[in-house]
Amino acid sequence: MGPDFDFTDTPVSTGTTIMAVEFDGGVVIGADSRTSSGAYVANRVTDKLTQISDKIYCCRSGSAADTQAIADIVAYSLNYHRNQTNKEPLVWEAASEFRNFCYNYRDSLMAGIIVAGWDEERGGQVYSVPLGGMLTHEACTIGGSGSSYIYGFVKEHYRLGMEMEECIDFVKKAVQHAIFHDGSSGGVVRIGIITKDGIERRLFFNTESGQSKIEGSQSFLV
Amino acid sequence: MNSFGIEQFPDYKVPGVQHVDFSPYESNGGSIVAIAGDDFVVIAADTRLSSGYSIHSRDQSKLFEMSSKTVLGSTGCWCDTLSLTGLVKVRMQMYEHTHMKTMTTDAVAQMLSIVMYNRRFFPYYVSNILAGLDKDGKGAVYSYDPIGHCERATYRAGGTAGALLQPVLDNQIGYKNQNLSADQLPPLTKERAVAVASDTFISAAERDIYTGDSVLINIITADGIEERKLQLRKD
Amino acid sequence: MTLDSAPDVPRAGFNFDNCRRNAALLQGGFKPPTTTKTGTTIVGIIYKDGVILGADTRATEGPIVSDKNCAKIHYLAKNIYCCGAGTAADTEMTTDLISSQLELHRLNTERQVPVVCANNILKQMLFRYQGHISAALVLGGVDKNGPHIYSIHPHGSSDKLPYATMGSGCLAAMTVFESRWKPDLSEEEGKLLVRDAIASGIFNDLGSGSNVDLCVIRKDSTEYLRNYELANKKGERQIDYRFKKGTSATLHTTIKDLLITEKVQVVPMEVS
Repeated sequence: MGPDFDFTDTPVSTGTTIMAVEFDGGVVIGADSRTSSGAYVANRVTDKLTQISDKIYCCRSGSAADTQAIADIVAYSLNYHRNQTNKEPLVWEAASEFRNFCYNYRDSLMAGIIVAGWDEERGGQVYSVPLGGMLTHEACTIGGSGSSYIYGFVKEHYRLGMEMEECIDFVKKAVQHAIFHDGSSGGVVRIGIITKDGIERRLFFNTESGQSKIEGSQSFLV
Repeated sequence: MNSFGIEQFPDYKVPGVQHVDFSPYESNGGSIVAIAGDDFVVIAADTRLSSGYSIHSRDQSKLFEMSSKTVLGSTGCWCDTLSLTGLVKVRMQMYEHTHMKTMTTDAVAQMLSIVMYNRRFFPYYVSNILAGLDKDGKGAVYSYDPIGHCERATYRAGGTAGALLQPVLDNQIGYKNQNLSADQLPPLTKERAVAVASDTFISAAERDIYTGDSVLINIITADGIEERKLQLRKD
Repeated sequence: MTLDSAPDVPRAGFNFDNCRRNAALLQGGFKPPTTTKTGTTIVGIIYKDGVILGADTRATEGPIVSDKNCAKIHYLAKNIYCCGAGTAADTEMTTDLISSQLELHRLNTERQVPVVCANNILKQMLFRYQGHISAALVLGGVDKNGPHIYSIHPHGSSDKLPYATMGSGCLAAMTVFESRWKPDLSEEEGKLLVRDAIASGIFNDLGSGSNVDLCVIRKDSTEYLRNYELANKKGERQIDYRFKKGTSATLHTTIKDLLITEKVQVVPMEVS
């Protein structure tokens, strides 16, 4: 540790747990809320569920700078197409756009992204775009450094055809397990439920009750 | 091995195996100033102990009383300072038992040089300044490099702000670059030596991030060692 | 054939001409000159009526303090200020550049620029330079959507937070916020909290020091409190170090007469 020691020099990365599950009528997405820079937690209330369009979200893992930049570009591009065509973008189109960036710039990017959302054509869908820039459609997928701790849990407890509330509980529990075991995942569990009506956000604190312990206005959490 | 063709593979890093980069040295900062007069010697050191950008202690004396006539100031790698001063104290006690007398400042100076050169190829990472009264009762200052080079001087600055302070001493104590006759220059009294030493620390604390908190001043005369303390800025 | 019509005019943007040469020098063991780093404590919080930004005032070059009272809270727009940590030149030029872009944006749109806009331009620029521009920023401002604080890292990631700290003293400052920040602080409470966070950086982080700067941004007014508190007093010296006349040796003296010529030219002026 010399005089030029400064952990703000180390790239900020979302050492993360992210997850998405399809159900009949929509998708449930979930993430922890920790952003770390080396050993320092740069943000403990991060929102890694990033909006791309009205009913398409992405879960970001990897370098915070890279994933934020790609998400911004894709959101811009889909918005442009929506305005041009007067049609809501498809989840697959968003995922494909992510794949193109992640693949073309695979040497300079550190990004593992899950794209999830709902569209008129195919309902709720989950796509995974891992590190190299591959694109796969999956009914249930996990990502980020914390995911390696919950492969067993997911394999044991995931069933096709789970109801919405079942899915929410499943995602919440999985992310909580990952937070417990993974040092670079932590904070609160953020969950999003995307259906034809849009998104509903839920927040589970890392407390016994799952509720906040801070008094007064909670507006800063949004 | 050739039959496997292993030598054709590039050197991959094996996951789980880490090459430990062990660095035994650390700079813990701090500065020392010593000024010798005809019948006294003043040695001062700040009390901040730090590493990198963090402070370990704001009140750590870096002056070691070796005898009633000798004080050693030591900065650099603090663990080496402790180990070295401990060793020197043991050697001085052995000398006392063998010869039935306390080591003179000059003898301590010589021994310190030998003890440090003993570790020529894995040196104590320290900046030492030894101050005391010599066998004639005159003020003496000895300065060292980390591997035992020893030199007697009348004034000396060392440690992280050593390079900042030495020119000030050259000018104010050595009267370098002052084209005045001797009667126009202030005589080096005990009070002036103490004042210059503490003033240099006030300036060092302004510009050196490793010097600050407070400064301990030891004034060694035939009557004994007087200790003074002065507060410095704490940022 | 060159298409450049004005070859003498330097091109806009960074000049990368010396990159290859410098890489070669570096490989040959050359030690590059140090840049001024603002080993810093910078912070920002949201309070009841707006945001408060804070910064220390020390700039360092390695272990040496190069500026004892520099300003790290930069102006971006009337309603937006930005604290900078990292390489001094990078934070200064980046904020200046974005400040001018925001002003043009304001003139184009004829609206007060929102804080997200500053955040977007900053993060897009920093991302483009892949972390080579060492600017860690705390961006704060108030617009029609309310108060906002963003922390922006050198690689171009940004976080929207109710309270943020950056620089080498960010841990020291964050401990203060994590224990005492709460929603809807009053202005007095907010200023005290930010002061304490900066003071904690000044005293516990060696890269930070000297004084506390504050900047309070309210819904329709801003207050830049430069040197809000002098956290450290310089010690008083015991001796007067003024030199006597004749201290410097005179090696030789030459006296030359100056010939002054004066020519008066009458300029007609309008007298009203």
